[in-house]
Amino acid sequence: MVVGDITSSTDVLVIGGGPGGYVAAIRAGQLDLDVTLVEMDAYGGTCLNRGCIPSKAMISASDIAHDATQAEEMGIYADPAVDLQGMVDWKDQLVTRLTKGVESLSERAGAHLIEGRAEFASPGRARIVASGEGQGSESIEFDNAIIATGSRPIEVPGFEFDGERILASEHALSLDSVPESMVVVGGGYIGMELATVYQKLGCDVTIVEMLDSPLPQYGSDITDVVHERAEELGIDFHFGQRASEWEEDGDGLVVRTEDEDGNLTAFDAEKCLVAVGREPVTDTLNLDAVDVETDDNGCIVTDGQTRTTEETIFAVGDVAGEPMLAHKAFKEGEVAAEVVAGEPSALDHQAVPAAVFTDPEIGTVGMTEAEAEEAGFDPITGQMPLRASGRALSLNEKEGFVRVVADGESGFILGAQIVGPEASELVAELTLAIEMGATLEDVAQTIHVHPTLSEAVHEAVKGAKGESIHY
Amino acid sequence: MAFEFELPDVGEGIAEGEIVAWHVSPGDTVEEDQVMADVETDKAVVDLPAPVTGTLLDLHAEEGEMVPVGDVVATIDVDGDGEVTEETPSEDTATEEVAATETAADSEPDQDALEASTGDGRVFAPPNVRRLAREEGVDITTVEGTGPSGRITESDVRAAANGEEQTTTSAVTPRDDGDTATQSTSETTTATTQTTVETADRDQTLATPATRKIAEEEGIDLDTVPTDKTRDGKAFVEEEDIRAFLEAEEASAETSAGADTATTSAGVETATPTPQEVTTEPYRGVRRTIGQQMEESKYTAPHVTHHDTADVSELVETRDELKARAEAEGITMTYMPFVIKAIVAALKEYPMLNSELDEEAEEIQYKHYYNIGIAVATDAGLMVPVVKDADDKGMLQLSSEVNELASKARNREVSPDELQGSTFSITNFGAFGGEYATPIINYPETAILGLGEIKQRPVVEDGEVVAKHTLPLSLTIDHRVIDGAEAAQFCNTVMEYLENPTLLLLE
Ligand SMILES: Cc1cc2nc3c(=O)[nH]c(=O)nc-3n(C[C@H](O)[C@H](O)[C@H](O)COP(=O)(O)OP(=O)(O)OC[C@H]3O[C@@H](n4cnc5c(N)ncnc54)[C@H](O)[C@@H]3O)c2cc1C
Repeated sequence: MVVGDITSSTDVLVIGGGPGGYVAAIRAGQLDLDVTLVEMDAYGGTCLNRGCIPSKAMISASDIAHDATQAEEMGIYADPAVDLQGMVDWKDQLVTRLTKGVESLSERAGAHLIEGRAEFASPGRARIVASGEGQGSESIEFDNAIIATGSRPIEVPGFEFDGERILASEHALSLDSVPESMVVVGGGYIGMELATVYQKLGCDVTIVEMLDSPLPQYGSDITDVVHERAEELGIDFHFGQRASEWEEDGDGLVVRTEDEDGNLTAFDAEKCLVAVGREPVTDTLNLDAVDVETDDNGCIVTDGQTRTTEETIFAVGDVAGEPMLAHKAFKEGEVAAEVVAGEPSALDHQAVPAAVFTDPEIGTVGMTEAEAEEAGFDPITGQMPLRASGRALSLNEKEGFVRVVADGESGFILGAQIVGPEASELVAELTLAIEMGATLEDVAQTIHVHPTLSEAVHEAVKGAKGESIHY
Repeated sequence: MAFEFELPDVGEGIAEGEIVAWHVSPGDTVEEDQVMADVETDKAVVDLPAPVTGTLLDLHAEEGEMVPVGDVVATIDVDGDGEVTEETPSEDTATEEVAATETAADSEPDQDALEASTGDGRVFAPPNVRRLAREEGVDITTVEGTGPSGRITESDVRAAANGEEQTTTSAVTPRDDGDTATQSTSETTTATTQTTVETADRDQTLATPATRKIAEEEGIDLDTVPTDKTRDGKAFVEEEDIRAFLEAEEASAETSAGADTATTSAGVETATPTPQEVTTEPYRGVRRTIGQQMEESKYTAPHVTHHDTADVSELVETRDELKARAEAEGITMTYMPFVIKAIVAALKEYPMLNSELDEEAEEIQYKHYYNIGIAVATDAGLMVPVVKDADDKGMLQLSSEVNELASKARNREVSPDELQGSTFSITNFGAFGGEYATPIINYPETAILGLGEIKQRPVVEDGEVVAKHTLPLSLTIDHRVIDGAEAAQFCNTVMEYLENPTLLLLE
C-alpha cells in the first residue's frame, strides 16, 4: 500500500459499468450485499454508449429516411433531407437519458459508485486509479470481485483507429456528416449493420470481407436474404479480400486489399470503418496480481457459475467470452451476484438468442437442424415464408421466413432461425418455448394475434406438425 | 438363457424400494416363488419372490440400495446357457441420450460451459424447475420427466430430491456413512470373542418399542444381541433374548475375572458414541414416508388444536365390567373401541370432520363411511393401520381388530391395503404418558383426535377437589375446512359419549 492510500472495504467490487457490471451491481444490492461499482469511462459501457443502443437508434433513423423514398408503390413520394448532426444529437440524448438511468438504478439498489479504473493489488484488494492520474489512489478491500470490463474493437495492423479516416464502430456512430463513400472492413454483424445505415443515408458503401459471405456464422439460406437486400440497396461486396494497407488521398483515403493469391485491389473512399471483431479488455486490470486465468483468445476462463480460477473473483460479459452480447452479459451479471450472495444460481439456460439488426433482421435461438442431428435428435422442421404472411405484405416485405426445429419424437422445440422484419422480437417467443421445454403442440395450440408477424411463428410450428393452415 | 429380473411393483403403485436384505447369492439355485430378498417400500417390508427357477448369476443391487421399479436387480440363468435375453428394451430416446451429457451447471472452469448450455446439453425442464433442482442439489440430467412428452416437472425434481442418494456436487454436506459406528461394532466383536459370551453383529435388528426401551435401559445395542427369531427375514429380538444375553455377560464377567472390563461390557461401548461423534442413518423407507407425510400435512393444512378433558369415571367402570367378559372370548378390551364408537357417533353429527379438501377441484368431499386410522408406534416409526367401516362393527370386533392391526403394524406384517383409506384418525399418545399434544393431521384427512393418558386427576366437583379418572383430548383440525367452533362442538359430543358410555348403546 502506498502511503496516503485510503482503504475502504466492500462485500462485492464490480469492475466495469456495462451490461454485465451494472446488472451484477444492482442484483447484488437487491440481495443486500454491500457493493461498489467502479467505471473508468461511462456507465452503461459499450452497449449504451457506443454499441447496441446508439447503433439501433441510427438504424431506426436511417430506416425512416430511406423507407420514405421507397414508398412510391404506396403512393408516397418523398425526398427527405438528412442532417446527420441532428440525428447524432438525438441519439446522444437518448444515450444520456439511459446512462443516467443506469446510474440511478445502481444507486437506488444501494451500490456505491466510483469513477476511476480498478486494478488488482492482491486477491482481496484492488486499487482505484483516478482517471487520468496515477496518483492519489484509493484501495478497496473486497470479499468478492466481479470483473465486467467488456471488450474493445480489434485493430487490424496498419489500420490504427484515428477517428478521422480510420473509424471504429464508435466513431461511425458519431460522424458530423454523411460521408460520400465508405469502405467497411469486415462483414460481421457490426459491419453489416453500420454499412446498411450509411448506405441508406446516401453514402456509397463497399464491404471487403476475408471470408466468402457476410455474417459467416449464419447459414446461407439466411444470409442470402440479407446479402441480396444489401446489394439491392447498393452496397458493393468484395469477398476473399484482406485489408492490407491504406494511404491518405486528399481528404479521403485509398484502402488496399489482397486476395489469397496476393492480387491487390484498391478502393477509394472518404472513410474506412474497421469492424473485424472484438477482443476482451483485461489489460486495465493488472491481472498478474491475482490467479485469474485467460484462454487463447484472452478471455477470462469461468465455470458454469461465472467463477474464475480465483475462488473469490467472478467474470461476466464480453470479457468472459463468446457470445459477446449484452443480454448474455445481463444474465451472467445476475448469476454472479446471486452466487456471491450464496444462492444456488448457475448458467443453466438452454439457449442464448441472438439478433442482427440488418435489413431485414435476423433472429436465431437454439439449434439448427444440423446441430440438432449432431446432438442426437431426430429433428423435424417447419418453415413459413413471409410472402405468405398478410402482416409482412402489409409492411411491404416479401422476403424472409420463420423456421423452427423440433425433436421429431417428442416434439420439443430445439431451435429457430428467423429472417425478416422484427426477427429480433419474434425470436423471443421461441426462446421462451425452448426454456420451458415446450413442444410444437404447445405453441400450435396457442392463439396468436392477427394480423401480426408472430402468426408466421405459429404457422411454422404448425408446419412442422404438418398442419399449416395458411401456407 | 438368462433372465433379467426387474424390480416389480411390490406394493401398490410404488416407485422404488430398498433392498433390505438378500437371501440368495450368486451361484445359488433359486426356485420360482422362493423369497429372494426383503424389499422395504414406503409402506411396508415385503418379500421379493423369484420369478423363475434357475441359477442366480448376478445381483445388481446392494443391500440398503434404493432401486426404482423396473430396474434390473438380478440375473437368473434359466436353462443353464448363461446367455442374456434382451428383456429390457434398450431403445434410446433422444432425451435419454442428452440426459447423459453435461449441463452448464457442472462447474468446471471451462469456456465450453456456455456452449454446453446452448448446445447438446438439452434438458426439457422449465427454468423454475431447473432452479429448484439446483436448490435441492439434484442433478437434473438424471431426473426422469413425467410432464408432457417427458418434460421434467417440479414434482419430478422433488421426488428425485427425496428419493435419490444425493448425486450432485454442490451444496451437499459430506456424509458419514455410519463408518465409525460399524467400525466400533466390529472392534467390539473381536474383543468379545476372547470371552465366552456370544454376541451378534448385525446392521439392523427388529424389536418392539418395549423391547427397545429395555435394551436402552440396560445400555445394550440390540444389534449385538443373539437371536434365532426373524421377522420378514430380519433378526427379531425380544425381551427374553436381552435377558439371556445379560445373564451370559454377567456369568462371563465372573468367570473371566480380571479380564479387561472393556471387553465384558461390549454392547455398552458400541452403543454410546463419544461426545464429538455424529452417527448417521439413511433417511428413507418408512421413516422418510412418515417425514414426507408430516411435512405435507403441516405445510398444507393450517393446524389448530383444541384441548379438553373428559371425565371418564363411568367409562372406566364400564370397561372394567366388559373386560372380563371379553377376556372369556379371548379378546383384550381396551378403551379404543369406546373411543372409536364415540368418534363415529360424533362424526355423524359433524360430517365436516370426516371430510377431505380436494384443492385442485376446489371441493370439500364429505365421506359417508367411517374408516378410522389408528396411529401405532412401531419400530420403524409411526404407522396408521385402518379400521374399515367402524360404524358397522360391534365392540368386540372393533377391539380384536384394533389389537390385531396394531400388532401386525409393530411386527411389520401389515399389508399396504390395511394402511390405506382412513377418513379420520386417532393417536393414542397417552400410551407413553403425557397429558396433551398437538397431533398432526393424517393428511388429506381434516381432523385427528389425540388421546392422553387415562388416570386419576384432581377434579373440582361442587366446590370440592376430588380424584377422578379423566381423559385429556387433543383434537387437531384443518382450519381451512373446519372452524374452531365446530371443532369444540365435535369434541363436546365425543366427550358426552365417553362420559356417558351407555349412550353408545343407542349407536
Ligand atoms: C456497434 C455495436 C453494436 C452492438 N450491438 C449489439 C446488439 O444489438 N445486441 C447485443 O446484445 N450486443 C450488441 N453489442 C455488444 C454489446 O455492446 C456488448 O456485448 C456488451 O456491451 C458487453 O457488456 P459488458 O458489460 O461485458 O462490457 P462493456 O459494455 O464493454 O462494459 C465494460 C465497461 O468496463 C469499463 N472498464 C474496463 N476496464 C475497467 C477497469 N479496469 N476499471 C473500471 N472500468 C473498466 C469500460 O469503460 C466499460 O464501460 C454491440 C456492440 C457494438 C460495438
